[in-house]
Amino acid sequence: MAHIPDGFLSAPVLVGTAATSAGAIVATTRRRARLPEQRAPLLGALTAFVFAVQMLNFPLGAGTSAHLLGGVLVAVMVGPWDGILVLFSVVLVQALLFQDGGIAALGANTLNLAVVGAGGGWLLYRWAFALLGADRRLLAVGLAAFFAAVSIGVAVSAELALSGTVPFAPALLAVGGSHVLVGLSEALITVGILRMVRRARPELLAGTPLPSPAAHRWAVGTTAAAMLLAAGTYLASARPDALEAAAARLGLSGADASALPSVASVPGGPWSRALVGIVAAFGCAWLVFRVSARRDRAL
Amino acid sequence: MSFHHLDRWADVPSPVTRLAPTARLLGTVAVALGSALLPVGAWVQMAALLLLVLAFAAAARIPVSAFAARLAGPLFFVLLASCAVLVLAPGQPLWVVGPLHVTDTGLVRFASVVGRATPALGAAVVLVSTLRFPELLEALRKLRLPSPVTAALGLSYRLLYTLADEIERLRRAARSRNAGHGAAGRRHRTMGIAAAALTRSFARSERVHRAMLARGYSGALPTLRAQPLDARSVVALCGVGAVVLVVVSSAYL
Repeated sequence: MAHIPDGFLSAPVLVGTAATSAGAIVATTRRRARLPEQRAPLLGALTAFVFAVQMLNFPLGAGTSAHLLGGVLVAVMVGPWDGILVLFSVVLVQALLFQDGGIAALGANTLNLAVVGAGGGWLLYRWAFALLGADRRLLAVGLAAFFAAVSIGVAVSAELALSGTVPFAPALLAVGGSHVLVGLSEALITVGILRMVRRARPELLAGTPLPSPAAHRWAVGTTAAAMLLAAGTYLASARPDALEAAAARLGLSGADASALPSVASVPGGPWSRALVGIVAAFGCAWLVFRVSARRDRAL
Repeated sequence: MSFHHLDRWADVPSPVTRLAPTARLLGTVAVALGSALLPVGAWVQMAALLLLVLAFAAAARIPVSAFAARLAGPLFFVLLASCAVLVLAPGQPLWVVGPLHVTDTGLVRFASVVGRATPALGAAVVLVSTLRFPELLEALRKLRLPSPVTAALGLSYRLLYTLADEIERLRRAARSRNAGHGAAGRRHRTMGIAAAALTRSFARSERVHRAMLARGYSGALPTLRAQPLDARSVVALCGVGAVVLVVVSSAYL
């Protein structure tokens, strides 16, 4: 359910997603205000291509098939800003002419498919490209396509849960889970198409700049920090830590033990803890990047 | 294939087609927003908005059978998507379907989703049936949609069905050569078709650009027939807006 029809989302979610999408589109069009005149026909052709190719069903085996979302494919070909504009145009035409996705839910669908799908997908691609190196470009594209599709599923689940249509956990299981399968097919199809395009017209993919050594270090640092965070979260025990256990053994009350600062005492519940964790992870990555960059300069 | 099967009632003289495209587009957005803002279980208000849409469909002289047929496709997808709400929403179980429980809350939310979606879809069907794509594009331009987007939309209108026909030709050619056996073979064949369509899109955009330059293109696409927002259209739009406002407000009072 990548295209949310009207009727599923509540007023605050409609307003919030519309405002976010409008901001993203305004920012994008400001970047592309002086659109080179030859880009307009290209954007039109790509909008028509995404629309037409979404009508193709790719057989996946076991009687199943999937169609392409196209965000990462377009963003890799023409860059994130034009990619967002193309996907927004596709979503707009689908909603207005073919009632595929609601008119009131246009903001949410733009956010999911254009901003997260194309813009977020391009960021994931650049991250994976910098991490894996220039020789594994197609693998980076595949990873980006997979995670972009999963991100779209998570975004749809969050919007449905925030609207009170369904609770978050079952929505994530149903929509997010199905988007894991969508992500696998998206990765397969995107890589397959790009491999053939590279063979037929390699010059179309020659415009993407290769990752610099600094970008590689940054990607390695953020990946290491994210993996440390994930492993730490997985291994974190719900049982009391050493200080709390010692306090309990000495007969100190719970109030005394809770006076000790801990990660769990971050105010605001799990969301703020998650935010603090993400900021800390990226802070660590930034420090690693800065230190390694300074060493490079010294050498 | 062409867009003309969509706007079949655009040339039929009617009170709806006499309104400015901008007013018709804004009226559709007002109905869609109004129905989306209705709370769960506001059945009377959902019915009122649907009646409003049916009145406009009748005024546009769209036959009931054609309106129902056009509504059926997107409504089917809404029904399909909202089926999950029946079993995912927590509440008292009403029926057991295998391992799943249809709950009372789920049933109310399912009916509310369908009830809110139907007027919005109906309004979009009336809009598309009575408005040509260039008029829609002009309305979007007047509503200050960014020019790169309207340019992309305008050119995609020109190319969409051309590309769809081209994909169909590529599929027919591949089938005639017996390309692709089994799921993996068919997948490879479809990827080849998509890749060919993508490279041809780039080539076509270059040709279109050269043709546009030859016709004096300097970065802006001209409009051949601009219909101004006249007083009648403003009054009709205000009327629709007022009705939607009253209906939505009554659901919260």
